[in-house]
Amino acid sequence: MLMPTVRRFSDPGSRWTVTDPVELALRVRLNAVRMVAPQGFGYLGQALSSAEQVAALFSAARPGRDRLVCSPGHYVIGPFAAAVALGLLDESALRDYGKNGSGVEAIGSERSPVVDHTCGSLGQGLSAAAGFALSDRMRGRDVRTFAMVSDGELEEGQVWEAAMFAAHHGLASLTVLVDANNSQVDGPVDTVTTLEPIAAKWESFGWHTADVDGHDPVALAAALADADAEPDRPSVVVCRTSTSHGLDCLPPDADGHFIKLSPELAWRAIDELTRELEALHA
Amino acid sequence: MRRPPYPVRTKPYGTAFLELARERPEIVCLSGDLTRQCEIDLFQAEFPERFVHAAMAEANMMGVAGALARSGHLPFVHTFGVFATRRAYDQIANAIAYPALPVRIIGFMPGVSTPGGPSHQAIDDVALMRALPNMTVVDVADAVETAQVARAVADLPGPVYVRLKRGEIPVVFDDGHRLSLQHAEVLARGIDVALFSSGMMLATTLAAARTLEEAGVSVSVVHVPTLKPLDGATVREVAGGVRALVTAENHSVVGGLGSAVAETLAEAGIGRPLRRIGIQDTFAEGSLTAPYLFERYGLSVRHVVDAAWSALDRPGPAPETPDTPETTTGSGAYSPV
Repeated sequence: MLMPTVRRFSDPGSRWTVTDPVELALRVRLNAVRMVAPQGFGYLGQALSSAEQVAALFSAARPGRDRLVCSPGHYVIGPFAAAVALGLLDESALRDYGKNGSGVEAIGSERSPVVDHTCGSLGQGLSAAAGFALSDRMRGRDVRTFAMVSDGELEEGQVWEAAMFAAHHGLASLTVLVDANNSQVDGPVDTVTTLEPIAAKWESFGWHTADVDGHDPVALAAALADADAEPDRPSVVVCRTSTSHGLDCLPPDADGHFIKLSPELAWRAIDELTRELEALHA
Repeated sequence: MRRPPYPVRTKPYGTAFLELARERPEIVCLSGDLTRQCEIDLFQAEFPERFVHAAMAEANMMGVAGALARSGHLPFVHTFGVFATRRAYDQIANAIAYPALPVRIIGFMPGVSTPGGPSHQAIDDVALMRALPNMTVVDVADAVETAQVARAVADLPGPVYVRLKRGEIPVVFDDGHRLSLQHAEVLARGIDVALFSSGMMLATTLAAARTLEEAGVSVSVVHVPTLKPLDGATVREVAGGVRALVTAENHSVVGGLGSAVAETLAEAGIGRPLRRIGIQDTFAEGSLTAPYLFERYGLSVRHVVDAAWSALDRPGPAPETPDTPETTTGSGAYSPV
């Protein structure tokens, strides 16, 4: 199996161009289906809910400079899928994803390519992102750190330790995207524990906040631009999403955390997304 | 090597750490709301721009430290040993040990050196940190070694857990002593029993060795400042030349020095009676003074002597032991928290 040539989002040699975030989000979904299909199950729901966020991040970040922390390791499928679509990661990653001995593991690990940091153990990524932002400020470096965080992770106390820390230290270069897809292992998040009001919680911790439709590329781009303009505080964008968005062929009772994808369903999904891509170019 | 009663010094770590920080601008200092207690008020006063208040949030502190190390800083993280290890174990595993980052975790108040009760007694920190791949575990013995440990660990590869007594630290070694993190140090050579000591149990072990020698027992004493990686060659060499062994640690007998020595002996096929002095798989309640705890929980000179006597299967009662002022904690500027 090929080990990826570009290790990290922020490596000085990293280069990519996003011409159309809508198309990139479609390609994230298509590539994620291809990655999950050989196993017949996997973290497809995370890619479906975060596809527009991933596309927005790759659009807003400065290649070879800014950082991406993918806190929930299960979500690393999204950045992998985008990196393949942008030529940043070899196509073989689609085939190797989650296989024995592969460098592109299904849950993010130290050797995960593309991202600057990921955490298989949930709730830890925001601390690392805060550490990166603190380091940049100590050294006077102009670097933005983006952190993908999931709503389920907000149940972990460490997230709020990190949120307090980042606000207290005024880490304005830090921008968090919370994927509020209302999905965790035991079911919808709001049936397991109450997180709402999510944005108000972050705001009360001293953060600049936005609360947007996480599948709206225009709203996401605007929220990231606002976050960049915020001079004193870290920013969080709460993204309201669904783990089945953008894939009509999924059954209505699909388990968002760990979607089962029979070969037949996988073919239908690939067909559906391919036709949408063709329509986009028509 | 000095003879008791041992003089004491205060802030040997904090003073030496500040000196090191003057030479090493990449050092950053993190505090989990125990700044004076961890002697890093000295650092904070001189280098406020490299000092990070991480607050009472150890999990986040470890994650921040990991990212700082990943970015090229050299973070020293300070809190009590219990909070450094029990509370943030998953964070240390994932954010520091797995990526093998050069974070130095300094955990104060080892074992039953505190009257703070079981919540504050780090009796399992060595076991926890030994279980982590890539981690080096250091437990120094006295003020001379404490003053050398920051510099000694600064350039080790990967993460390091350092266990430090705080407050007034006895001076057992001569000032010319050099701390070695590579080798266990054979302080005395005898042919009957070998006493292995880690951390602050050195004074107790030396007192036990004197008592045994006076009773006609020939004693080896081995000082083990690095518990992982253990200097197995020295353990095997010393064990091969005696009839029995005793380990002494201010820590649970599960997973610390006693376990490490036992593993080494078993894997080498060295069959010798072994007794492990330490906290016998229990929490230590009812604390006010250290001598009470050391006596009640089996860490006194008498316990070491009795263990050696028993391991050697000597007839008659073990020799009487003197009082053990060596184990008294100071009551100076660092009153317990």
